[in-house]
Amino acid sequence: MTPYWEEEDAEEDSAGSMVRPYTITRGRTAPERDDFSLITVLTTVQDPRDEHGVPLRPGRRALQPEHRAILAFCGHPSAVAEVAAELDLPVSVTKILLADLVAQGLLLARAPLSVARAAGGPDLGLLAAVREGLRRL
Amino acid sequence: MTSSQAAPAAVKILIAGGFGVGKTTMVGAVSEVAPLRTEEYLTRASIGVDDLAGVDQKDTTTVALDFGRITVSSELVVYLFGTPGQERFWFMWNDLVNGALGGVVIADTRRLESSFASIDFFESRGIPFVVAINCFHGQNTRSAAEIRDALDLDPQVPLLVGDVRERPFGRDALLALVDHLMSLPAEVEPVPAG
Repeated sequence: MTPYWEEEDAEEDSAGSMVRPYTITRGRTAPERDDFSLITVLTTVQDPRDEHGVPLRPGRRALQPEHRAILAFCGHPSAVAEVAAELDLPVSVTKILLADLVAQGLLLARAPLSVARAAGGPDLGLLAAVREGLRRL
Repeated sequence: MTSSQAAPAAVKILIAGGFGVGKTTMVGAVSEVAPLRTEEYLTRASIGVDDLAGVDQKDTTTVALDFGRITVSSELVVYLFGTPGQERFWFMWNDLVNGALGGVVIADTRRLESSFASIDFFESRGIPFVVAINCFHGQNTRSAAEIRDALDLDPQVPLLVGDVRERPFGRDALLALVDHLMSLPAEVEPVPAG
């Protein structure tokens, strides 16, 4: 197995690799909202409308190519990690772009199920469903 | 608002263990897609090793992880995240760890110590886990009891021995984790943070 942590490269390239991704976000290094997780699931809104029921027509020029790529990709519901892998962008950069689209009403975000043990842990129905899915593997 | 498809709910399971022990191999063996790779920037400020007033780019490092998915139904997807090989990096990646259903720690009998850190980590975070001993080509000269002893494993933590390249073994390890989760008593008091 090839180790995929390449410490030396990362050390040397970090300055260079920092520049381009954050150019895509126009210099922003944090999303508008910070509640996305790696497995928050995003779905592109078809026929988006504003609160008055008027169809949203986002100026296509207001969207960057990466935004459009996300909207195309999330026609099939996808997790943040999958979008990041698809765009080949770091997770934190991807989250900024996703937040833009959610704020514009073009993308829906679904938070992961709460499974925190402190909050009672995952419910048995969920575990049973996971178990059933795994058994079919 | 309408969407083309309702979004499924997502849960995640962490696949941990020492460097090169077969994490991505296991993810690939059970995932419905070839493992995907994603990266994140982590700043050393997150680990708190130094006083980092004025963090600059030199203090940022890129960590990669591989992940896969298992679609249980149109309403539920399980994501499997192989943790970065060096624990010091994933320990500071809260987003990776938070909200995980549980973990599978893969260990290699020839160097069990390389998985100590993962076990310690799950224990300290109160994340339930199982241990999957990866023995390529059935090369395992140690009994389960010996391995348990060497890993100083709590008796209730499930331990399986097999080949992580094989889907049935990966499946069984994940099933053992789910059964373990189902057998755990409900938490009465919150798990201390950190």
